[in-house]
Amino acid sequence: MLVLSRRRDESIIIGEDIQVTVVDIRGDKVRLGIDAPSAVCVHRKELRDAIRRENENSSDFQELPAVRRPA
Amino acid sequence: MRVQTTRFGAVEVGDDRLLEFPTGLLGFSSFTRFALLQPDEEGVFYWLQSVDSADLAFVVTDPSRWCEDYEATIRREHMDILELEHVDDARVFVIVNKYDEALTANLQGPLVINLRARRGMQIVLSDQRWTTRWEIARLQQQTAARATA
Repeated sequence: MLVLSRRRDESIIIGEDIQVTVVDIRGDKVRLGIDAPSAVCVHRKELRDAIRRENENSSDFQELPAVRRPA
Repeated sequence: MRVQTTRFGAVEVGDDRLLEFPTGLLGFSSFTRFALLQPDEEGVFYWLQSVDSADLAFVVTDPSRWCEDYEATIRREHMDILELEHVDDARVFVIVNKYDEALTANLQGPLVINLRARRGMQIVLSDQRWTTRWEIARLQQQTAARATA
């Protein structure tokens, strides 16, 4: 993994057109500003991980749930 | 085409039930071909059965039946992957899960399907109103209700 040190208001560039800026640092929390083309999806990683985990957990139904149409 | 499944043996699936997920599902990116099976026309659940892996199948449902104000925002780049020209051609499904007696739906990572092009993808919603484990029903209560009906 590439590791870079950055101060507040400093940025890194990924590829041609993605810019990540350190907006604020407080204690153990860093606020990042991300400029990217709209075609690039930017998400918190734990959100993707949670969805992936949920997919992995949900593939062991052996039959459809016996729940009818909601009232 | 004939699809091998571990749950219901070999099933014949019409081309109109086959779906291509070019980017796969999160955690299952190598499986891109699925069949949407509706065993019970009155039912609210479908199987999203992998065409390439007999034991890979998800239970999915239409989220609007369970959560009235649910909405999934489809971005331009999703529309490109889905070859979707009109949002009206899209249908949204969510994957169902079970935790003890709670039946849950993953409203955070819905499946969007272009019915015309028969292409689908799982999208990630940043909207914090939703969760990956949105409870849609209690299995025990349902059983009890049936017993007293």
